[in-house]
Amino acid sequence: MALRMSRISPLVALAPSAAVTLVAFVGAILWTFYMSFTESRRFPDYQIDLTDWGRQYHRLFNDGAWLIALKNLFVLGIGSALAIVFGFLLAALINKEKRAEGFFRTAMLYPLAVSLIVTGLAWRWIMNPSLGAENFLHEIGFAHAKFNWLAEPNTAMYGVILASVWQSTGFYLALMLAGLKSINPEIWNAARLDGAPFWRLYLEIIVPMMKFTFLTCAILLSLGVVKAYDIVVAMTNGGPGQSTWTPAYFAINAYSIRSNIGFASAAAVIMLALTAATFLPLVALVGWARGREERAAT
Amino acid sequence: MSTQAADAVPFARTAPAARRRRRVKGSSIATYAFLTMCCLFFAVPLYVIVVTSFKTMPQIIEGDIFSLPRAWTLEPWSKAWNELCTGIECNGIKSGFLNSLAILAPSLALSISLSCVTGYALALWRVRWANGYLFGLFMCAFVPFQIIMIPLILLTAAARIYGTVWAVAVVHAILSMPLLTLMFRNFYKDVPVELMNAAMMDSGRFWRIFFEIILPMSGNIMVVVLILMITGIWNDYLIGLTFAGFGNQPMTVIVANSLITSRGEVIYNVDMAAALITAIPPLVIYFGLGRFFVQGITAGAIKA
Repeated sequence: MALRMSRISPLVALAPSAAVTLVAFVGAILWTFYMSFTESRRFPDYQIDLTDWGRQYHRLFNDGAWLIALKNLFVLGIGSALAIVFGFLLAALINKEKRAEGFFRTAMLYPLAVSLIVTGLAWRWIMNPSLGAENFLHEIGFAHAKFNWLAEPNTAMYGVILASVWQSTGFYLALMLAGLKSINPEIWNAARLDGAPFWRLYLEIIVPMMKFTFLTCAILLSLGVVKAYDIVVAMTNGGPGQSTWTPAYFAINAYSIRSNIGFASAAAVIMLALTAATFLPLVALVGWARGREERAAT
Repeated sequence: MSTQAADAVPFARTAPAARRRRRVKGSSIATYAFLTMCCLFFAVPLYVIVVTSFKTMPQIIEGDIFSLPRAWTLEPWSKAWNELCTGIECNGIKSGFLNSLAILAPSLALSISLSCVTGYALALWRVRWANGYLFGLFMCAFVPFQIIMIPLILLTAAARIYGTVWAVAVVHAILSMPLLTLMFRNFYKDVPVELMNAAMMDSGRFWRIFFEIILPMSGNIMVVVLILMITGIWNDYLIGLTFAGFGNQPMTVIVANSLITSRGEVIYNVDMAAALITAIPPLVIYFGLGRFFVQGITAGAIKA
């Protein structure tokens, strides 16, 4: 049926995207991977010293800031997971009372429309040591309340977590609401007749049914955590000291401040490895569970 | 806010027994009260930015961050727009606003045309290895930016566009291509087979079908993608910082530079006005076209 022209045209149309994939993704990743074994500094140097090819990685894992960044990645991952928990709880409550769903979703999702730079600056202002919310807490009687988290190396990361949970809870709420909508309505009626309490219905029936939604949220969360950069710049710019560095911040810093392509490439390769290590198993799990469900259905 | 909870009561009809009904009412009120409190928590940062941007500095120094302005003043807004300093220059964020607009137009044009055509070809034409390619794109959508950043800097420098608006536009198009292509493809694959067959009988030409049939019926997905991209590009910091070069930097970079690297006395009301001006365009889109915004941000997640 297709004319001869129409065999070539689709390929012509796909050429730009294929070129982008091959050059800007595959090629660029391979290039960075190669660079991580060289001693490139400000400019690329294609020589690899075969006796000491792992030098950049060796340096990386002996760098105090990188170890802090890895620890912060872990802390941020655990802390940000609260956004999924809150998102689910709020979605469950909103879905339980059918009214005003649009209003609540709009009021809780708006942080996602705001730049992380603005989000970070707003929270930084709220956590201002002398003029921020701490001062307010003191005035209303909580004399020992502390809310200048960003000023202390021990607590600065919690400030970043608070802001990112604030920013992303609405997103997970929206995903969870969509997931709850797709559940067979008869289950709600059956549960109502059964008289099972709200929380048991959710814990024993709804949560297992929404496992795909939870996995999707987990995938997106892990990607977002590895990418965390803007929020750190806006809130602490890595400080106090190096206490809020993340791998993303470290990699950019190694290139733009230290001007060291080899070192920055090694950090970026580890970032990619971390992404792959969380992302691929989760995707495989989703694929496996989907397949099993389909087989069970037929 | 409290009327919401009160309104809900007559509609809380669930169980036949009167005793049971009363219990449900109570829990409904509690639920609405709790949700309203959560909304207030979400509103706090926005509220604080807004009131701070209208206060005078003497009132801010008093330290009551949650109080309303005693005398509302627009001065911080005009200072932020005209006089905010970044480094040594004090030209306000108006130049950043114009730069953001200048970045937005070519970025949208490039990213949407690239992904739309790719999605159409993959969804409706028989292309070898189409599924393998889609899987590859799906993988690319999750690659961290840092691992392709340095090569992209070198490539844009080699193309002599590094440090211009075009470099930012090209990088936005590259980074958004995987996800947008998947979105377009998922939209086009639901085009009815009969329609496509009829189009093939009629002309069978790839570009004619695209421009005469497919593009005119893409209104819905276009709105979703436009909103996703406009907010994404406007809120971007890292790409603008890395590729725009001095003089072309978008608003987010200007605001971050002036507020984070500023030395000496901090003028909080001007800072907050600048942050708010940066946030207004995406917020207007969000509150005006929220439905499409939700579709856009959840579309990326659904394929996972």
